[in-house]
Amino acid sequence: MEEIVFGIGITALAGALATVAGAAENTESDIGSQGDPNSQVQLAPQMGYIHRIFNKAVAGEPPAYGLWVALGAGLAWAFMAMQINPILAIVLGSALAVFVQGIYATTAYLGRTASLAKFGQPVYIDILKSMTTVTMAHAFVAIFTTVAMCHLMISALGHPFPLPLLGLVWGIALGAAGSATGNPFYGKERQYQSQKFGAGVPISASGNIVRYAEAGQRNSLDNGFFSAKLGGPASGICFGLIVFFELWRTVVFEELNIWGPIIVGVIVILIFAIIDRYIEVWARKAFGPYTAPEEASS
Amino acid sequence: MSALGGPKQTGGVQPPTAMGLVISIVLIVVALALAFFLVQMAGLLALVGIIIGGVLVAFGVHFVPVGGAPAAMGQAPGIATGVAMLAAGAGLAGLFGGAWAAPFGLPVALAGGAVGGGLLMAITCTMVNVIYVFGMGIPAASGKVAKDPITGDTFPEYKSQGTEGHGLPFISWVGGVIGGALGGLGGTLIYLELLDVYQAQLPVLLNATVEQIAPVAVSLAGIFAVAMFLVNAVLAAYNITGTIEGPHDPKFKRFPRAVIAAAAASAVVGFFAIALLELVGVF
Repeated sequence: MEEIVFGIGITALAGALATVAGAAENTESDIGSQGDPNSQVQLAPQMGYIHRIFNKAVAGEPPAYGLWVALGAGLAWAFMAMQINPILAIVLGSALAVFVQGIYATTAYLGRTASLAKFGQPVYIDILKSMTTVTMAHAFVAIFTTVAMCHLMISALGHPFPLPLLGLVWGIALGAAGSATGNPFYGKERQYQSQKFGAGVPISASGNIVRYAEAGQRNSLDNGFFSAKLGGPASGICFGLIVFFELWRTVVFEELNIWGPIIVGVIVILIFAIIDRYIEVWARKAFGPYTAPEEASS
Repeated sequence: MSALGGPKQTGGVQPPTAMGLVISIVLIVVALALAFFLVQMAGLLALVGIIIGGVLVAFGVHFVPVGGAPAAMGQAPGIATGVAMLAAGAGLAGLFGGAWAAPFGLPVALAGGAVGGGLLMAITCTMVNVIYVFGMGIPAASGKVAKDPITGDTFPEYKSQGTEGHGLPFISWVGGVIGGALGGLGGTLIYLELLDVYQAQLPVLLNATVEQIAPVAVSLAGIFAVAMFLVNAVLAAYNITGTIEGPHDPKFKRFPRAVIAAAAASAVVGFFAIALLELVGVF
């Protein structure tokens, strides 16, 4: 019994760490403009809209986070093998991984933006100076929490994978959850804030992203400020729920029966099916069919 | 012909060519024969398991509703990320659960892997709809079918002007969960087959007990399972070309080609994985 209570405590802690990781990951990717909405940031200058948005989408979020978290986990693992305290080892590993992220962000911004030179898009050095460190800080939070979560899974719950491999697995899952949940909010609600609320962006409006803020030109820090309100926390809840249910069903129900975690997993999937269907039906009733705006919005 | 030339892009069935079929079968037979020659019957059976796992992964990817960049602007239905990436996230979460349940035997581990992958997709797909509905005020609408095959909801009147649809209709949600489950199942099967092979070979090679080599065997099998998962997911993504809404999308009918390609790729990559230690010994 004590073992199960201990397991539940670890599960809750891992779920909380995952929630922070998801929120930080999505905010980082929105400030760095790394998700799919970056297609519009890349497209805008080609359509004649010069902007001051960061641009580092040379890899998708899942492989990028797979790299950074596996790197942080691998270095932490090496430090732990050198008898360094695990907390310190995880901090050091994550910090070193963040430097790789910083180099990635710098070269990606310079490369991607320089490729737009023939469309008149300048490389803003002040953007590079002010945004890179902010994405690095958010990436540190995401990497540190994910590596710490992986360490808990191994040392407290006894998962057989070594730390670097678990870092790769959960890093990719973190990127997948964060980009799936957070991307539409950044893409539709922020970059196309001028479009009508409650409708998709017409394809004809592609590239015409919002480039001006309350004062002066909009930059990626404004985008981070915006998506931290909903896209980030929603991504955090998504990843937190994934990690929590994945661990909870095993930790609590494996003692009762070896098929217990599987049955509980199927029940949880069915509960989410009901929630999803409820949301879908609620939206259809609450919003109603599409009605064209009186004047064309693009 | 598109503006860039090349064959016409069709949304529907693209059957495998005879040449592709023949080459695939030859590759599979050669890989199986080599596996039998190098690692005997255990190697042959492991490779068959790996091929089945790879085929399950590639087939599963076709179920996952992926909208890519257009989905991030509410211009197309699906999840706003890449095909291979999302499938990898789900399959690897399944692998995590499957590897954890490995000591309880093959059926429990495989079911654990499938449920793990399905669970990730169930939560992710639900959160996508939460963001679309409560963050952007957009109801789900498919662009490929007029009516949801499961719920019977109609879509054309909910679709925004100038888009191909948006959000995740219930059929796409179900497809996502099935895709995640198949991915988790396939990934776990590959992992377990490789683990068996390494646990049999490593003690002899390193002159150690099964317990002593367990960390090495688990790491090797895990890394190869992740790698083979990505090989098959990316192959399937090439077959899909861009976005897919789920099992109701006409592009779904293209899966036979991906299944054959995945079988051939898994046979070749799987052969190197199971014969790794033998090959290291040879060189």
